Formats: sequence, C-alpha cells, structure tokens
Amino acid sequence: MSDSITLSNRPRGGLMASLPQRSVFVLAAVAAAVGIFLPGLVSSVLLLSLMTQAVIGAITATGVGLLFRQNGVVSFGHAAFYGSAAYIIGLSMRYGLLPAELAIIAALVLPPLLAFLLGLVIVRIPGVAFAMLTLAVGQAIYEFALKARHITVGDDGFAVNFPAQVFGISVRTFQHPSSMFLICWMLLIVILLALQVFANSPLGRLTVAIRENEERARFIGYRTVVPRAFVYALSAFVASIAGVMAVLYNGFVSPDMLHWSLSGSVLIMAIIGGPKYLWGPALGAVVFFFIKDFTGNLTEHWPAIIGMIVIITTLMLPEGLAGALARLAGAVRRRGNATGEAAQ
Amino acid sequence: MLVQILNGLVYGGLLYIVAVGLVLIFGLRRVVNFAHGGLFMVGAYVGFAVASLTNFWLAVVVSVLVLAALGVLLDRFVFRPLQNENHIVTVLVTFGILLVLEDVVQTIWGKDFLSMPTPPLLSGTVTIFGNMFPVYRLVVILVAACVAIGLTLWLRYSRIGLFVRASSMDAETTAVQGVNTDRVSMIVVAVGAGLAGLSGTVAAPLLALSPAMGSFILIESFIVVVVGGLGSFSGAFLAAIIIGQIHNFGVIYLPWAATMIPFLLMVGVLIWRPTGVAGSHV
Repeated sequence: MSDSITLSNRPRGGLMASLPQRSVFVLAAVAAAVGIFLPGLVSSVLLLSLMTQAVIGAITATGVGLLFRQNGVVSFGHAAFYGSAAYIIGLSMRYGLLPAELAIIAALVLPPLLAFLLGLVIVRIPGVAFAMLTLAVGQAIYEFALKARHITVGDDGFAVNFPAQVFGISVRTFQHPSSMFLICWMLLIVILLALQVFANSPLGRLTVAIRENEERARFIGYRTVVPRAFVYALSAFVASIAGVMAVLYNGFVSPDMLHWSLSGSVLIMAIIGGPKYLWGPALGAVVFFFIKDFTGNLTEHWPAIIGMIVIITTLMLPEGLAGALARLAGAVRRRGNATGEAAQ
Repeated sequence: MLVQILNGLVYGGLLYIVAVGLVLIFGLRRVVNFAHGGLFMVGAYVGFAVASLTNFWLAVVVSVLVLAALGVLLDRFVFRPLQNENHIVTVLVTFGILLVLEDVVQTIWGKDFLSMPTPPLLSGTVTIFGNMFPVYRLVVILVAACVAIGLTLWLRYSRIGLFVRASSMDAETTAVQGVNTDRVSMIVVAVGAGLAGLSGTVAAPLLALSPAMGSFILIESFIVVVVGGLGSFSGAFLAAIIIGQIHNFGVIYLPWAATMIPFLLMVGVLIWRPTGVAGSHV
C-alpha cells in the first residue's frame, strides 16, 4: 500500500487551483521518484502485477473523475472507450490492418472522437439522465462486439500478438510488471499534471462554470455544449490511454473490457477516492484493487461488499477518501498554525 | 408477420411495465432508480420460488406484494433521506443496492440459469388468422394493456393520482399546497417496485432466470424512458411499444445489430428533441 501513502501526501501540497503551480511539480517529481524505487522494493511479481493493474485502473478512474469534476456528471459507460481502444489495437494486429504504432495512435484518437460526437448529443441531457445514456452507449458497443463474432471472436476474446518492438521499445518492456508499472505510473503522473493544467485553463474554468449553472453561463454568452462535449472526449481519451496500456500489458482483449460492470467498477473507484479531487479517483482505484484482492481470498461476495462500500462511501464520505485525507491534512495544518501563532 | 408484431408487443409490454415504474419514481423523486433492474430480477426469482412451491397465480400476487414492500423500504430508507442531496448520490446508492441484490440472489439461487414453466392453464396455443400463437404470450400483452389502462385511470381519476401528477410537475409547489409528498412518494415507489415484481414474474416463463437478467432490462427501459421523455407516462408507453417492435424485427432481420438499433433510435430522438418524444409533459 506504499503507493497510496505517497498519494495521500499530495493534498498537503494540494493539487488545488489556489496553490502555486510549483509545489504541484515538486510533488509530481517526488511521486515519480517513488515510482522509480517502488518496483525495486517489491520482490513479489504477483504484487507488482497487481500494482500495475491498479495503476492502469487508476488512469481509467482519473478519466471518469475528470467528467465528474468538470461536468458534474457520472458515467456508467467508460468501459466503452477503454475497451474500444483495446479492440482497435487488437483487431489491427489480428487482421494486420495497421502497424502497431499507427494502431495505438488510432486507438488514442478514434474513441475520443466518437465520445466528442456523442457528447454533442448527450451532454445536453441533465445529470441523472446522462448517467442512463452513458450506460446505454456502453452497452450498445459491448453488444456490438459480442454479436459481431465473425470479426471479434465474440465472448472468448483473443490474444494480441505484437511485433517484437513498438515505438522502438521491446514489447517485453510492456509485458513485464516491473517495467510496465513504472511506465504506467509515470503516465499517470503526466496525466494528472496535464489535467491540473487543464483545470486552470480558460476552458477548464468555463466547464466548471457551466457545471455550476448552465443557464447563466449561456446568458453570459458562452456556448455550453461544445466545451462539455470536449471534456467528455478528454475523459474518454484518458480512458483510451488506459485501454492501450491494458492491451499492451496483457496482450489480450475480451468483451469484458467493454462491459458495463467494468464501467461500474471504474466509477466506484472514482467515488471511493473522491472525484472532487484530481488525484482522488487514482487513490480510489489503488484502494479498490487492494480491497478486491484481499476480499477475493476470503469470500465470493465481492459484489455485495463493493455495493456496501459504495453506499457507505456516498453517504458517510461524500468527498471520498481524498476528501477525508484533505480535511485531515487541513486540520493538522490549522493546528500547526495555531500553535505557531501561540508561540509568537 | 402478425406473429412477429405480437412478439414485439410481448417484449414491449414487459418493457413498458418496468419503464413506467422508473417514470413513476422519477416523477416524484426526480431520481433514476438504478436498482430497478434488480427489483425486476428479484421479482422473477420470488415468483419462481413461490410458483415452484404453490402455483403461478399465487406467485404473481406474492411477488408483487413482496416487491411493493421492498419499494416502501427503498423509499423510506433511501429516497426520502436523500431527497435534498445531489441526485447523483441517489443514483450511486441505488447502483450499490443493485450490486447487493444481485449478490443476494446469487447466494440463494446460484449462478446457473433457471427456467420457470408456463402455468398449465395458459400453456396452449391459439390460432389467430391462421397463425399459431402461445396463449401465455397473449396473456402477457393483456397484462401490459391492463397495467397501462389501470395506471392511466388511477392517475387521471383518483385523488392520489392527481397528487402524483401534480408532484411530477412541481413537487415543491405541491407540498406547499398541503399534499403530503412523502406519503404520495411512498405509494408511488411501492407501485413502481410492485410493477417491477409483476413484470419479473410474468416474464419469468419467457426468459432464462439469472442474477444478471436485471441489467439488460434496466438498460432497455432506460432507453424507453429517455426516448419517451423523462417523467412522461404516455411517452413511455409509446416508446416501449416502438422499441418492442424494433427489438423484435431487429432480432429477426438484423441479428448482429439488434441491440444497436434501439440505441441509435435513442440518439436520433435526442438530436431531434432533447426532451424526448413527449417532452416533459405527464
């Protein structure tokens, strides 16, 4: 759980807009350094593999969290983008449609493009109904992959054979947990940094304004559909990155990668972590994977447990683990300031 | 052709009974009940259990009552305490309940598919214009029609129905007028959940029972509710009939795209009218 501890240290610097950007970069550098040493400290390949899966999950959850933070809506269908990205690569390799590098680029471009076009239609629908629509979007794509079995092999999925080198890097680098953990960890840090920059950009601020009051934003003269569709596409892009990493790492695609139970899990990760904070969903994903691994050894009732966790978190910790940690850190800092002032 | 239209009506009818429950709850509480598919699934299993001990008719009654009771609990302990929270909170909590329900059912009845026999009284076929058609399927259409008529009459002519319609338009103003919206909501959620139980039990002889059967119908009924216009009863009716037909013809003529077509229809309707076919009118 050492990586969740590093994550928990971040709120002190606070990836909050009000704090100077420099501390954010310092924290990112610290996190990167931790990531470099972590694989060396963990000797168990099994644990390292779990950590890699958790970081890939963290990237996906960050995408879902972005949508919540900027647009104020939840998505029950992000597996559609995660899985589509994986299938674009898988099918390209299987039928020799594209070289691996181009397939990866296509996997990063096409799902967000689809999300943008869909977004133009569905972001106009208010919050709760939006959740229903994302679920329907995800399920339509899932069923399509399942039904088009002459192309996608349906239920069973298939192994993806990569060439020996992708982007000049040996494929083994991607498929070994210790190197892949580092790649995904660095990627997560880069994504979090980029999203922090986005949150402070005019477009990031505009979407928050629209989230707070769409009508008023429109009255001021802003277009409100395109920015939100863009955020939807951006969050699909982040999920696509995770999908690309997953297929590179596992060398396998199956319809499970598109199924709504995966979308649900990712959303749960984001909720447990607290999507109000940029780093919350990533933290939630790590916690989710470790709880799942832990309870998986004890009981078969994982769905019921995770269901209870969702209910309890939404009711007791509306800002998630990240919110609780941030509040704790805030309390500690305030107490520190108080004693400091008393000493003066 | 006629048989196919009738089959479409069977599916549309089942969808309508589930979707109208969602519409009822949405009208009162402004939330989408993600556990609704779970209620449908529990209804099917309760029906299955009672039917295997006694008979089908008792199973329908028990299932509706059990689910209505579950609805009362859902309203009392979920929707009412959360009514002033962000609606997304309720969505997430009901999603959690869906997961718990699936696990409970799986623990009791197992993962394997179960099948429920058609009640003997209705197991024959009838000939309609020279086509053979199972009696049971006709009965399902009839049940859906009765629900539609009954619900319409209830909403139009009963005092509670008036309150329900008023609350769906503007819950706050209705409460200010002295209507006890919490009580109305309890009745409405009970009716909605009871209908999910009815739909589940009636559908059970036609479907294979599995703990995951709820998610499929949930997604299809979401499409119905969105196409029909959130909170619109007549819209849900119309959309369920259309999607039932589309689904059925899709399965026959375009099997690989059958599940895409309702979805594409939904996207089309949303481009044309973001508030759905029937707008936001009840």
